[in-house]
Amino acid sequence: MTTETDINLQGVNGDQEAAAVGIKHGKELMLLGEAVATRDQSLLKEARQRLLDEAGTSVLVDAAGVAANFQRMVRIADSMGIPIDDMESDLGKSVRTELDLTRYASAANTLQ
Amino acid sequence: MAYFEYSNSPYPIRQDIKKEFSEFWQRLAKPGSWWTGAERVAIAQESRTAVNCSFCSIRKQSLSPYNVTGEHGSDSGLDPTTVDAVHRIVTDQNRITRSWVESLPDAGISTEGYVELTGIVVCVFSIDEFHRALGLPLEDMPEPVSGEPSHYRPAQAELGTGFVPMLPREGLTGAEENLWPNGRNANVIRALSLVPDALRDWLALSSAIYLSVEGMANLIGQDDRSINRMQMELIAARVSAINECFY
Repeated sequence: MTTETDINLQGVNGDQEAAAVGIKHGKELMLLGEAVATRDQSLLKEARQRLLDEAGTSVLVDAAGVAANFQRMVRIADSMGIPIDDMESDLGKSVRTELDLTRYASAANTLQ
Repeated sequence: MAYFEYSNSPYPIRQDIKKEFSEFWQRLAKPGSWWTGAERVAIAQESRTAVNCSFCSIRKQSLSPYNVTGEHGSDSGLDPTTVDAVHRIVTDQNRITRSWVESLPDAGISTEGYVELTGIVVCVFSIDEFHRALGLPLEDMPEPVSGEPSHYRPAQAELGTGFVPMLPREGLTGAEENLWPNGRNANVIRALSLVPDALRDWLALSSAIYLSVEGMANLIGQDDRSINRMQMELIAARVSAINECFY
């Protein structure tokens, strides 16, 4: 099942307006994730307050959980050197192309 | 001692998060498969030191992290190879290579030990990141429980995917028969399976701060979450992009 909602993937690359397309509080959620991952304390304080003001405490807590979880997942993937499971899926191919993911060093774990 | 009560948190923390964090902390303190309780807690402590390590900052800027010499600011009492492994996972994970991982046994860390170490680091790191994201103080480390590691290695683990042996997708038997949650066996689930308890730890934490593996099949969202699946995946993807995660 899908939501059939139009979104703009460039939100993943930090485009704030794109992050808001089709996703409630998308801009604020994206900025919180960005602040957590960049470890910029002033950005984090600002992003936390913006999300709190826009969406409230429950959203902030759940968003913090997701960001924290994916700080972990990337480290599992890269530390163990795992390749992508299915390089042939059309969806995966289009996402990797649009976001230009092969520029990352860890692409070698799949492409070598 | 009780942990993760969040009595001074300005934000209500869900009960399942408190429960999973607290239970992980208890497991962290006990002897694992390849490290003692004291070593596991020291590894956890080292993951906090790594976050602000000045040598890691210098190494992160270098073209090749393997040509930079120096010392990590460490006070955990762990040997330098173990300290370095913890710091690489926290601060420079996307430049970890097969050759470095394969060099660890000669430097004193077995492959199984490396997998368990990784499991400890990533779980503690994500709990700490949850706290940092909310501006909450980090939890005190648990008191280590004495005893010896089990040295349990699943017999079916095999090389072939990634840098370390993993359990196969099909045909798990014995204690691992039901290890794949709902039969799901993507590589990211298999990654830590050389130490099954490390996989169990990450699945338990994930179910609280993200989704259970069963919940991941729901592309709309869970009733007990205040953000839907699209909102979750936007955060997940932005965090992964900044970490330069290809997977």
